[in-house]
Parts: sequence; C-alpha cells; structure tokens
Amino acid sequence: MIANLRKPRVFVPVILLALLALVPIVVQDSKYYQSVLIVCFLFAIMASGWNLISGLAGYVSLGHSVYLGIGMYTGAILGKAWGVDPMFLIPLGAITAAFVALIIGIIVLRTRSHSFVIITIAVLLAFQLLAANLKKLTGGSDGIIVQQPSWAVELGTAPYYYIFFGLLVLTILLAAFVMSSRLGAGLVAIRNDEGKAASIGINTTVYKVTAYVLSAIPFGAAGALYGQYLGFVNPLGAFAILTSVYLVLAALIGGRGTLWGPVLGGFIVAIANEFATTTSGGVSARVLIMGIILILTVMFLPAGLLPSINATIAKRRARSATVKFIDQESIATSHSDADTSLIAARVQHRDDGGDTVLEVRDVVKTFGGVAAVDGVSLALQRGSITGLIGPNGSGKTTLFNCMTGTIRPTSGQVRLTGKDITKEKVWTRAHDGLGRTFQITRLFKSMTVLDNLVAPLERTSARQMVAGRYSGDEVDRARDVLAFMGLQEFERQNAAALSFGQQKLVELAQVLMLRPSVILLDEPASGINPTLIEKLATVIRRLNEAGTTVLIVEHNIPLVLNLCDHIHVLAEGKILTSGTPEEIRNDPMVIEAYLGPDHMLEAPGV
Amino acid sequence: MEIVQVLAYGILLGGVYALLASGVTLIFGVLDVVNVAQGAFLVFAALFTWQIWDAFGIEPLLLIPVMGALMGLLGWGIYRGMVRRVAPQGPGMTVLLMFGVALTLEGILNLVFGNKFKSVTPPYFTESFTFGELVLPLPQLISGILGMLILGGIYAYLRLSWAGRALRASAQNREGAALVGISSVKASSFAFAIGAATAGVGGVLLSIMYPIYPATQYDWIARLLGIVVLGGFGSIPGAVIGSLILGMTEAFANTYLPQWSSIFFYGTILLILLFRPNGLMGARTREDVA
Repeated sequence: MIANLRKPRVFVPVILLALLALVPIVVQDSKYYQSVLIVCFLFAIMASGWNLISGLAGYVSLGHSVYLGIGMYTGAILGKAWGVDPMFLIPLGAITAAFVALIIGIIVLRTRSHSFVIITIAVLLAFQLLAANLKKLTGGSDGIIVQQPSWAVELGTAPYYYIFFGLLVLTILLAAFVMSSRLGAGLVAIRNDEGKAASIGINTTVYKVTAYVLSAIPFGAAGALYGQYLGFVNPLGAFAILTSVYLVLAALIGGRGTLWGPVLGGFIVAIANEFATTTSGGVSARVLIMGIILILTVMFLPAGLLPSINATIAKRRARSATVKFIDQESIATSHSDADTSLIAARVQHRDDGGDTVLEVRDVVKTFGGVAAVDGVSLALQRGSITGLIGPNGSGKTTLFNCMTGTIRPTSGQVRLTGKDITKEKVWTRAHDGLGRTFQITRLFKSMTVLDNLVAPLERTSARQMVAGRYSGDEVDRARDVLAFMGLQEFERQNAAALSFGQQKLVELAQVLMLRPSVILLDEPASGINPTLIEKLATVIRRLNEAGTTVLIVEHNIPLVLNLCDHIHVLAEGKILTSGTPEEIRNDPMVIEAYLGPDHMLEAPGV
Repeated sequence: MEIVQVLAYGILLGGVYALLASGVTLIFGVLDVVNVAQGAFLVFAALFTWQIWDAFGIEPLLLIPVMGALMGLLGWGIYRGMVRRVAPQGPGMTVLLMFGVALTLEGILNLVFGNKFKSVTPPYFTESFTFGELVLPLPQLISGILGMLILGGIYAYLRLSWAGRALRASAQNREGAALVGISSVKASSFAFAIGAATAGVGGVLLSIMYPIYPATQYDWIARLLGIVVLGGFGSIPGAVIGSLILGMTEAFANTYLPQWSSIFFYGTILLILLFRPNGLMGARTREDVA
C-alpha cells in the first residue's frame, strides 16, 4: 500500500482522512461537527467490517449490527463490574465479538444465499430478546447506564473523536490487508463460485468462518467504545435492525467489495441520517427517507459509487486505447522448451499406492429407487490416459462426481494413491493431488486469467491465508503454465471475456497449478472447435508424458480412441466392458449399447 | 387439561401464521425473491382495518376481501414497477429492495397513524368459546379457523386450477414454462399479488388479535421468515409445519415461561439448521450439489 502512494486512488482518501484528523484542532467550536463525524466514523467502521464477509465473500448479512451490540454490552457490563477505563475495554469488546461470531458463524454459514440473509436477522433479534430477558446481567429492557470516565468529563468529545478515528484507520488497514492476501482472493473466488473454489483446494468453510470472525472484530471494538460514548446501553438501541440496514446501505452506496467504498458510504449515510433527523424531525421521517434512499440505490446504483466511477474511467480509457488482436493460432501451441517439471505431479509416491493412482471399489449411488451407479470398480494405472465412455444416462457423471467428491456414494470406496478418500471434502481431495475440470467451464468470471491461476491452494494453513495474493513463486509458475498452454497473451484478460474453448484451456491450466497426480476431465472436447480439440489433445499428451495420470469422460469417441491407453464403457450404471481402444472399437456390445440392437442388422461390414 | 388448552391455542395461532408465511414462501418459490416487506404489508392492512373500523364501525372481518384485493394490487404494482427490474441482479439485491419498501411503508404509516398501539375491538373481542373444559378466546378462534380455511382455498386453487399449475410450472423451471407458453412476468406478478394478498387478509385477522403499531412489522417479519427458513424455502407444506411449530412454542412458552417464547423458537431454528441447512421440507437443489 505504501508503495502505491502515488496513485490517486490511494493518496486521495489518505489525504482526506488526514484532514479529518485535524478537525477538532483547526475548527473552532467543533463539538457538533465532532459528534456528527463520530457517527460517520462508526458507520464507516461497520460498513468496512461487513464488507469482509458480505462484500468479498458475497454472504449478505442483514444482522451484523449484532456484534456492535455485543461490544456495547461487553463494555458496559465489564466497565461497571471492574470500574476500568473504556480504553481497556475496546480489545475485550473485539475479543467477545470474535468469539461469539466464531460460534454463530459455524452454524449460520452452513446455509446459503436467502437462508443466510434471514438467519442473520434472526440472530440479531434473538440477541435483542436475550438482552431484554437476562435481567441480572443486562438490566433488562431498562438497560445499563455507563459512567463517563474522568477524561471525557474534562476534555469533552475530542478524545472519543480520536479513538473512533483510530479504530477507523485500523479497520481500513485490516480490510486492506485481507484484500491483498490469499484469504481475500479466496473469498472473492467463493463469491464467484463456491463449488469451483472448493474443487481447486480452497477450504471454503475455514475461509468463510475466518472472514465472518474478522468482520465482527471492528464491530465489537467500536461497540465497546460507542456504549461509553452514548453513556447508555439498552436492548433496542444496541441490537437495532435499523443499524444493520444503515450499514448495508452504506456499503452498497459506496461500493461493495472495494476498500474505500464502504468508508465513503458510511460518511454519506451518516450525514444523510443526520440531515433527515434535523430537518424533518423525528424517527418516522428518517425511516421513510432511508427506505426511499435504499430503494433508489438498489434500483439505480446497484454497483455503488466507486465501482461506477471506475467503470466510467475505464470506458473512457478503453476508447482511446489501440485494439490489439491476439493471434489465435498461437493458442495451445506449447513451447517446446517448456520444462516438464513445471507440470509434474506434486504428490508422486505413497508407499501403499502401488501402480494404481485412483481406484473406485464397488461404488453404488442410488437416487431414490434408481441406481445411477450400480457397483462399479475400476482403477487408473499410474501414467495412463483412461477413457470413460457410455451412452447418456449410463452413470458417467454420477461416477465422476463420486470421484471428485461433489456427491457421496451410497456404498463403496474411492481411493487415491492408496488412501481412502470416500468421505474426504472436495478441497482435501484437491490437496491430495486430484484435479478436475468442468464440462461447462466454471472460471471465476470477475477475475483475470492470472488471478484465476493463482487462486488454487495446495493446502489450508494460516500462513497461506495471510500470504500476499501474488506472493511466492505462484505468479512465476502461473506465467510458466500459461506459456506451456500457449495462453500467455491472455494473462490480463477477464475470464468472462474469453471464448468457451479458451476458457476450457484456462481451466485446465488452473488445475495444473496444483500439480495434481491425477486429472479428471469432464467432457473436455464438448462445445469447442475442432482445431482447439486437436490442440487440447496435444496438451493432454504432453501432460501425460510429464507423468500425470488422466481420466477423460467424453462423448467424442474418435478423441477417446485416439488418446487413451485404456477405456471403460459404462451402461446402465455398470461397467459393460473394458479394454484397449482397438478392442473397444470392435466390440459389438459397445455398438449395441450406443445404437441399440437393431443397428447390427443394418450396418454392413462392421 | 391445560396441555390440551395450550395445544389448541398453538394450532389456532399457527393457522394465522401459516397463511402469512405461505405468502412469503409462494413469492420465493416462483420469483426467488425473499419478501421481507410482508410484515410491513400486514401492518399496513391491519392499520387500515383499524382506521375503517374506528371511523365507520364496520365489522372488521367484512374487510377481508377488501384488504386482500388492496394488498394484492399493491404487490402487483411493486413487482411490475421495482422487483422485475432488480431481479436480474440476484437475490441479495431484491432482499435489500424489499427492505427499502418495508422501511418506506413503515415511515408512511408512522406519519399517518403515529407511533401508538391501535387495537380493533369488536364486541366479541373479549368473548370466549367454551367447549367442555376448553376455553378459547373468540378472536383467536375466528382468526385461526379463517386463516386455515383461506390458506386451504389458496392451496386447492394452486393445485387444481390452470393458473395454479402455470405458477407451479414457472416455479420449477422458468425457461421451460416460458417455452410452453407461460409468461414468466405474468406468473410472477400473479404470485407476488397472491403473496401480498395473504398479508392483506392476515393483517385483518391479526388486527382483532393483537394491538398493532408500525414498528411491529419487525416482530412479524422475524416470525414469518423464521417459519419459512424452518420449513424450507418455497414449500407451502413446510410453511404450515413451521407455523404450527412456532404457534406451539409460543403457546407453550407463554404459559410456562413467558418472555422466553421467541428465544425458544430461534433456538429451535438454529438447532434444526445445524442438521438440515435447507430447512425441514427444503430440497437440496442442483446448485447445492454442483
């Protein structure tokens, strides 16, 4: 961040913040302005915190002010019991909020989209009721009166002003840190496509819960201070749903997912709120005005101010830029000098694995009364290219999903290099060396090709999460892999801007970043043009030469016959036959399974 | 005997909740929109019922069709004017839009009716119906039974009529329904209108049971959303089961542990979600698996 100080998007907000620090000193009789700005700081703190879980990871929480309330009560209760200065209670507020968020996060993050939104509201209301009913601890609905510390009596609001200001700066630093880390990149990946994120090794549960806890910390810290500042804490004020709505509105107006958007939005909403209260008088008008602002923002400024401004600038720049055409021929023409160790498998040997890399044993998967996969056993030999074919509805996809972990088999076992992975999570399989691509590509559309390539994770660890987004040798490796695929020209393109075939290649490159020992390709040739199919075949062959085991599920029979060493034919959930391409080509059972029994009568000279 | 009393009371309460929650779940099923303004809609209807009853002394129950139609029209307008435009931006944004609508309505009601409790007290307000040892307050009895009857009517309509089938088709697969000639805009407007109409009817029913003021919309929407999450989004039978669970918890807690009733309900929701993230009757969708 320091290094980028020359960029306007960094130095403008920093200068504005520095000016705010001067307000109590420079402006005479600034008590009123200070009190308004304190609310601005509070809203900016909350909106920035909320942004970590809801802006980055896309889990919209409508009850996040619950952590402000928890901070307020922590400060008030402990302040009263211990008689200590509120300064010391700020970290305790943060810790309590983080602890509660950890427990609640583990439960509520099991739900998604709608249910998550609603359950967050329910949590807020539940805490409001708890505070009203735990009379011994909280004083019930009457609340707790908080004694002002001696410095507040002597110096007025100025100390509060600076402490809130300091908390805002800390919150912005926290947000900036998260956004520049691999944790932040992983959260954006989760927002884009959670299932895909898991398949490239991102432990989505740990990531989401971490973001949720981090997002609660600024609330808890600010709450402990805010309770002191108000001098009074009660259930309706501390756990107000309106506060949640205001802070969501703030993040929305400024721009979700950006660093400064929520801060800007916090100031706008707090000032609008103050304006509504002073000019029209009373809560009713304020609720009405905020409701209308919320409707207008959602309808006409859904992306928020900062992203909209950025988009306008980008459009203007694009108009003056020269258009550069990319030579399509170069795609997937892998450089002959590319080092094969680049893509060689990371987890090479395990003692009891033997020659088998991936194995399924007696796998059965039933949906209701239908057995989609009915007792299939097969093994992928190390260094082989295996094909899995079969007519529509034969159970290929279900078997594939059992191997990748998106569904769990009813019975049977899946083993990877000798280890039973039947019950492993999707990301653990990725860590263990199993890579997969999707039939319909699932790249992270809002991210660049390079960002897509550095997103995969080889393990889950705290050190990995706090590491910089582009730290280590990942970026160099990503560029090498792109070069290997002949995709280096696309590095800075948004994934959504690529053609479907190009996206398939990028997705394969993304999987290669994990150096998997086995790659499962789900219909790699479907929907792409014949030239690209040929190039894809070359890439798969080169991968295989580098020691990677490959399984291809495909309808393009010529491609499978051409590429594979060994082919399994699936029909009605069972393995119909297995053999070399030559054997499969001449097997009457296979032809029958695909074309029906009558075919044999009409086809001469098979 | 007390148990039976509490049980009956819980079922009656659940009947009213079921009607209101079905409106939320119906709108969700067809449109993928969480109508967090349902609480504001019903408070709106309840306060208008109070106004008319207060001014003209009309029997409030007679206003059921009027309020149903009025709120249906409002819902139709809100869908056509706002929701339809915001829907492509995804569920998070439509929730926020409906929250904006809820706040706007609350603000308007605050300005018109003020921040005071209003109670509709027709002559039978304090009467009870006695059946053996069972004593049921008449307003609860009437509201509970009417709520269940009207919900039954709506459910039968959705099951048996062509329009109902079109709605269900659209809920399951919008593009598929469009291919066989069901306009998704029309189906969605219709669903939104019915969903809002249940708030109109429910508002009248609640007005004779509880005192109402604008900010009570939060209590109501919290209950309704809890029910829908518990039962599983988009499922009307789920909404009925969730409503009965809430009705019972409230009735039991009110009798044995007053002030803790809502906590019990929220606790139950959290516990159930721990094991069934999609609610009791909610299906795991393809997107969850992929």
